[in-house]
Amino acid sequence: MPNALEVRDLHASIGDLNILKGVDLTVPFGEVHAIMGPNGSGKSTLSHVLMGKDEYEVTGFASIDGVDIMGMTVDERSRAGLFEAFQYPTQIPGVTLDDLTAEMAVSNPSDDGFEQRIAAASERLGMDRFRSRAVNVNLSGGEKKRTEMYLLGVASPKIAILDEIDSGLDIDAVREIGDMIESLRSPDRGIVVITHYSRILAYMSPDRIHVMVGGRIVKSGGSEIAEELEAKGYTEYQVANA
Amino acid sequence: MTETPTLGSTDAAWMASRRSAAVDRLADLAMPSEREEIWRYLDLDFDPDIPSAPNAPGGAGGRDTVLDGWHGDVVSIIDGFVVTEGVPTIAEADDEVSLVGDDDLFSTAFTAYAPGAALLTGDQLTSQVLVDVQSTSSATTFPGVHIEVPGGSDASVIVRFRSTTDVGATVVPTVTANVGDNARLTLTMIQDWNYQTRSLGRGVISLHRDASVLFNEVGLGAKLGRLHLDINFVGSGSNAKVYGAYFGEDNQTLDYRYFMNHIGVHTRSDMFLKGAVEDNALSVFTGMIRIEETGQKTEAFQTNRNLILSSGAAAQSVPNLEILANDVMCGHGSTVGPLDKDQRYYLMSRGLTPESADRLQVRGFFEEVITQIPDEAIAAWVRDRINGKYVAAQQEGRV
Ligand SMILES: Nc1ncnc2c1ncn2[C@@H]1O[C@H](COP(=O)(O)OP(=O)(O)OP(=O)(O)O)[C@@H](O)[C@H]1O
Ligand SMILES: [Mg+2]
Repeated sequence: MPNALEVRDLHASIGDLNILKGVDLTVPFGEVHAIMGPNGSGKSTLSHVLMGKDEYEVTGFASIDGVDIMGMTVDERSRAGLFEAFQYPTQIPGVTLDDLTAEMAVSNPSDDGFEQRIAAASERLGMDRFRSRAVNVNLSGGEKKRTEMYLLGVASPKIAILDEIDSGLDIDAVREIGDMIESLRSPDRGIVVITHYSRILAYMSPDRIHVMVGGRIVKSGGSEIAEELEAKGYTEYQVANA
Repeated sequence: MTETPTLGSTDAAWMASRRSAAVDRLADLAMPSEREEIWRYLDLDFDPDIPSAPNAPGGAGGRDTVLDGWHGDVVSIIDGFVVTEGVPTIAEADDEVSLVGDDDLFSTAFTAYAPGAALLTGDQLTSQVLVDVQSTSSATTFPGVHIEVPGGSDASVIVRFRSTTDVGATVVPTVTANVGDNARLTLTMIQDWNYQTRSLGRGVISLHRDASVLFNEVGLGAKLGRLHLDINFVGSGSNAKVYGAYFGEDNQTLDYRYFMNHIGVHTRSDMFLKGAVEDNALSVFTGMIRIEETGQKTEAFQTNRNLILSSGAAAQSVPNLEILANDVMCGHGSTVGPLDKDQRYYLMSRGLTPESADRLQVRGFFEEVITQIPDEAIAAWVRDRINGKYVAAQQEGRV
């Protein structure tokens, strides 16, 4: 059976700057993985490169559910089942969240589950008062993250990459979002949580934790890695990687 | 419909002498030149053919979406003639009303050849008024509207300009308003001429003590659609909110010269215009905030944002300040650029095709100004028209 996400020897650069230097990552269906790593190590770049953002020179391989996505445009990757929750969600002035989810449904005519998922995700995250407001405009940091979770619920992807979904959340919201991620675990889905903090991981049961340093995954293991990083930081990896 | 008298035959005495002076002056006036700052960027290489005003209005145009969705009064002006029964003109009024000076060829020609601007005041303003200004003729015509808002009262007027034939015309529309002490005017102008018509519009709004105006302009049509607007903050405490939405395509030129003249103390203006151009269209916005020595405590802001949707299109955006008082607060911002790449990326990452992402972005861009249009049915019509132009361009591969 194919994996939710397969990444092999992925490189990405901008001009002379090599950011990803050979990333390998496998996320089987039904699993929740975490990626941790120091600032600037390439975590957001990995999310954007997988999503198909056109800023980078890219080589390597990535597939979703066995389907090669490398030649696909951003929207094709979305329809192939990839969802990226943005570390810094973009403001779309004048376009309400309801406008956006309506267009998402129109863009995926073969998926007739949108209406039901909009209702369910809205209820679960208490989004009613945000749905008629412009997407990410004048929202607090935490409200933007909540919007990303809502769109994740609406999109119902095969593989979700959540880039610092927990940053800027208050203590209760971290638990709520952690619980929701765990509840989105499904045999039809893989989930990758990029985070700096073990707090959100405590509300989930991540199957694997990957450490990303200098544009590579330098270590993978169980939840013990999170505790070890909390205690010692990234110094040993950065030295080893230098 | 009333019999149309010969031009000037019903003029009040003040108007008759003003008209004949203007006719005399016209002989010495030449076409303005794009070397003058206020005409800069324009192609003025055409013959306005003055005088050529018809001596009777053409046939009335049919109803359309705007009229069908309208619940207030309607005043019709065809080829410059007020054809709605019972609506007086300023030319017949006892007291002189002249807010536009005869300062160039077009304003002088208006004085000389306009049958008379519709005078809206008192009874005419008790409910909302839609002025349906129609052009049928290839002659140069001079439609006018003057709104006199008595002190302490409210008025709401929409002036919609349209061509009811596909004949190319030159039109010199003139819309003026006197807003009395503590009165409020809501004025919306919609320019929807056909793409063969040149429109050289003037607008003047004078605000007296604590008066306010909410002004919206929508630029859809015309080969050349120009509006030179002056808002005169004569009275202390007067204020204006000025919004605009314009969308140019084909070889259109949409031209806005807005002057906020702050004379009284403690006045405030907020200008906010958004436009887009595609194909070979050109848009021009020059905004002047002018604060006289007497205009202490003025607060004045102007913002103009432009989307360039195809490589042949261009937008000129020039904010200006001229400040003679020392205790004022001003701000201005101006942008000209393509659709935002980050917005496109974000929307596509949610599964939207690049076409729907851009369509949504264009729609969102204009929402901020379209939502300021006070009549919801008109706002919905404007939204459909603007977005329809962009969608058609997408379908035809022009953007
Ligand atoms: N568009 C770009 N232009 C130039 N440099 C870039 C660009 N995008 C990323 N970088 C650089 O690539 C490196 C990796 O950035 P990235 O955002 O992927 O890091 P990150 O691991 O997500 O960090 P953080 O934990 O701070 O979010 C950084 O040094 C960053 O400055
Ligand atoms: Mg990051």
